[in-house]
Amino acid sequence: MDPLPLTEPVLLVLLSLAEQPRHGYSILKDVEQVSRGRVKLSTGTLYGALRRLLDDAWIERVAEDESPRDRRAYRLTPRGRRNLQLEVQRLKHITKLAALRIVRKEV
Amino acid sequence: MIRFHRCLFYLYPPSYRREWREEMTAVFRDAQTDIRSRSLRERLAFDARETLGLLAGALQEHLRIVSGHSPLMSFTRFNMRPEFRFPRSTVVLMSVIFGGVMFAMKEASSIQAKYGLASESMWRTFPGFAGLTFGFALVMVAIAWAILFALGRSGVHRLENLPPGTKSE
Repeated sequence: MDPLPLTEPVLLVLLSLAEQPRHGYSILKDVEQVSRGRVKLSTGTLYGALRRLLDDAWIERVAEDESPRDRRAYRLTPRGRRNLQLEVQRLKHITKLAALRIVRKEV
Repeated sequence: MIRFHRCLFYLYPPSYRREWREEMTAVFRDAQTDIRSRSLRERLAFDARETLGLLAGALQEHLRIVSGHSPLMSFTRFNMRPEFRFPRSTVVLMSVIFGGVMFAMKEASSIQAKYGLASESMWRTFPGFAGLTFGFALVMVAIAWAILFALGRSGVHRLENLPPGTKSE
């Protein structure tokens, strides 16, 4: 099954983890910052997405023996990174096409 | 609010609760500490967002257990799974429902022709109409629930998890 296109919250969560491993609250803050305050995830939405991403092996838990249970960090798997790259390429194609068509219409 | 948040966790399936409650509560606590310095409007929006998020999340988890996948808050924008097939009984049920709707429309037409529109006030018949609609909606929900329950109980969705070669055993 083609996994694309992604929903915006999932795309932003993956982008957040693409930079570095993060724990839940750090992801919430980063998503809000990256979207310039437009996307504010609730904990229910975030962990619903994280659970599905874990099930589909797009992300994994960072094995930290000393990290407490409520501060578990997550990172992208190679599969998750590949799918994220595909989504970014898809978005690039759309924006390029849109820019071309808008310019053509204006001329 | 944290107590209310923890209470809402009882809406989740027990396995999910055991796995995620501690972590989600910690994140909620951090987010709540952060929002305390903001305006009342932002705090109310935060509470509403968290409550709705947990309610939707709990519903999603229950549906995932019953049907084997999460139709809400889907991973992708349009998550139609080609391998999913409705049971044959769905066709029969949908035909019965369609027949019922057609019959109700025919009956309504004959009643309208018999009594006329002007002679009856709409509000006199409204309670009966609302009751019938509510009853009909209840029956539809019960049927949908029964289908999902049957799917979950039959264990058909678990066949996908079997290793290759064991399905025919």
